[in-house]
Amino acid sequence: MSDMAAVRPANPGARRAVPKNTGRLRRAEQRAGLLFVLPVVVVYTVLLALPIAQTFWYSLTEWNGITSTFLGLDNYRRLFNDPTFWRVVLNNVMLLAAIPFAILIPLLVAFLLNQKVYGWRFFRSVYFLPTAISWVVIGIVAARLFAARGFLNGLFAALGLDIRTDMLASEYTAMLAVIITFIWSVFGTNTIIFITGMATLDRDVYEAARVDGAGAWQVFRYLTIPLLTRFIQFAFILTLITGFTALFSLIFVMTTGGPGFGTTTLEFYVYQTAFANGAFGYAAAIGVVLFAIVFTISIIQLRLLRGRGE
Amino acid sequence: MIAGRLRRGAVFGILCLVVVVMLFPFVYMAIVSFRSQDQFISGEGFSLDSWAALFDTLPVAQQLVNSMVVTVAAVVIILAVSSMAGYAFAKLRFPGSALIFILILAGMMIPVQSIIIPEFVNIAQVGLINQYPGAIAVYAALGTPLGTYLMTTYFRGVPTELVEASLVDGASYWQIFRKVMLPLAVPALVTIAVLQFIQIWDDLLIGLLFLQTPEVRTITVGVATLQSARVIPIPLVIAGSLVSAMPAVVVYLAFQRQLISGLTLGMGK
Repeated sequence: MSDMAAVRPANPGARRAVPKNTGRLRRAEQRAGLLFVLPVVVVYTVLLALPIAQTFWYSLTEWNGITSTFLGLDNYRRLFNDPTFWRVVLNNVMLLAAIPFAILIPLLVAFLLNQKVYGWRFFRSVYFLPTAISWVVIGIVAARLFAARGFLNGLFAALGLDIRTDMLASEYTAMLAVIITFIWSVFGTNTIIFITGMATLDRDVYEAARVDGAGAWQVFRYLTIPLLTRFIQFAFILTLITGFTALFSLIFVMTTGGPGFGTTTLEFYVYQTAFANGAFGYAAAIGVVLFAIVFTISIIQLRLLRGRGE
Repeated sequence: MIAGRLRRGAVFGILCLVVVVMLFPFVYMAIVSFRSQDQFISGEGFSLDSWAALFDTLPVAQQLVNSMVVTVAAVVIILAVSSMAGYAFAKLRFPGSALIFILILAGMMIPVQSIIIPEFVNIAQVGLINQYPGAIAVYAALGTPLGTYLMTTYFRGVPTELVEASLVDGASYWQIFRKVMLPLAVPALVTIAVLQFIQIWDDLLIGLLFLQTPEVRTITVGVATLQSARVIPIPLVIAGSLVSAMPAVVVYLAFQRQLISGLTLGMGK
């Protein structure tokens, strides 16, 4: 935790409400402070800190929810020798590989939107709309689009193309379908992040570039992207964490992790192992691996943001 | 000049194309929901059959009420707990303040899946599975760290002189919180409420595990179970999806601005 302190040096209690108090008043302030944080401490301890500690502990045991036997590191040994686990990790890697697309497309669209286009407010509202839609609903519609008798084949037929596809029927195309849906879903959020970022940029720089005869692509490539680094990093991390921790519902309704383990990501694997197979201890070990990955990413994010004079 | 106008037209065209891609699923849903299973397969004609059947298959009204109760209760708890904590972290000096704050920030980095198993076992042990309070508590806990972070950031921007002046006037810390700080914090509270409302309303996992019977299920879970049954006619599932999505979309349309500011607040800027 001392490491964390280094990451976030700001001391929230540093600003004193009442300077140079008598002892009695200062004690009153301390008591008030402790009482005001008491609810958050209770909620946090009972419902977040305790369960994460339990996850660590039970990952060292065989556990069915009631009785547990201590195993040491056996779950982890088994996990790292389990081909299914590595198949699942591969799915996470594929999600990771999709993120550049989930960044670049919104970046381009935000760039276009930033040209003071007529009706940009309307465009922004529409692009951001999927933020309000649950993964469940998105998954239900996506399953229809990509399925054998879905819209996609209808579109191919309408275009006179002789292609029949059932993307959800084989492992890699199913993962591709999940990834396309994922990119569609985060498009709005990332576009908003980049629009916000572009609003902070100095218009004069653009003017100067134009006067110097830079084309739109050159402006985008050599001005917008470098100036937006901080926002791109933020969007990257947010998208990555969404992909690794928020796709459970999408996968649940779209593919239930299949075919085979074709679309099972780590988070879905935790659920399956625990609640479909009843192997709580083993699932806890997978939960610890997921936690380690997400925690590491978050720490990197904090360091990056701090490294930019934040 | 002509080249400029052409380019402008091209940009506009591309943006419109993106609109089609983004709106297409909603149009598709609206159309499909007004078809019976036969009409869906043949692709011709419209009827209210699927909507009628939806209300026979799924306790829609009950599950909407369940969603509303659980979501609103959790949001209220998150607002109460985070605003109190935010005030203390930003404006009061007390021992352990920095450490507690950092621990709570770290709580934002815990994926739900990493705590869900013990959480489920613990809640089951106290007999709160299939009871509103179990799910409400878990939702509230998951939303609290972000809420606390946002409230602390917000309250740090409020001048400390306001607190001092009220203290001199003889107000207690609680009175200052209620009468001075909370009214000032309304924009931040609205932002957090909107973010969390959509998040909780749209959630599947917690509802699936903690509210298992159809009578207590939330609408999002209800619709997901329709889908996973795989025997329910597609237009009916789609109609259900539309119903489940509606409240969050209404909140989105009403509070879009706050939602966007919440996103940028999250950047710590």
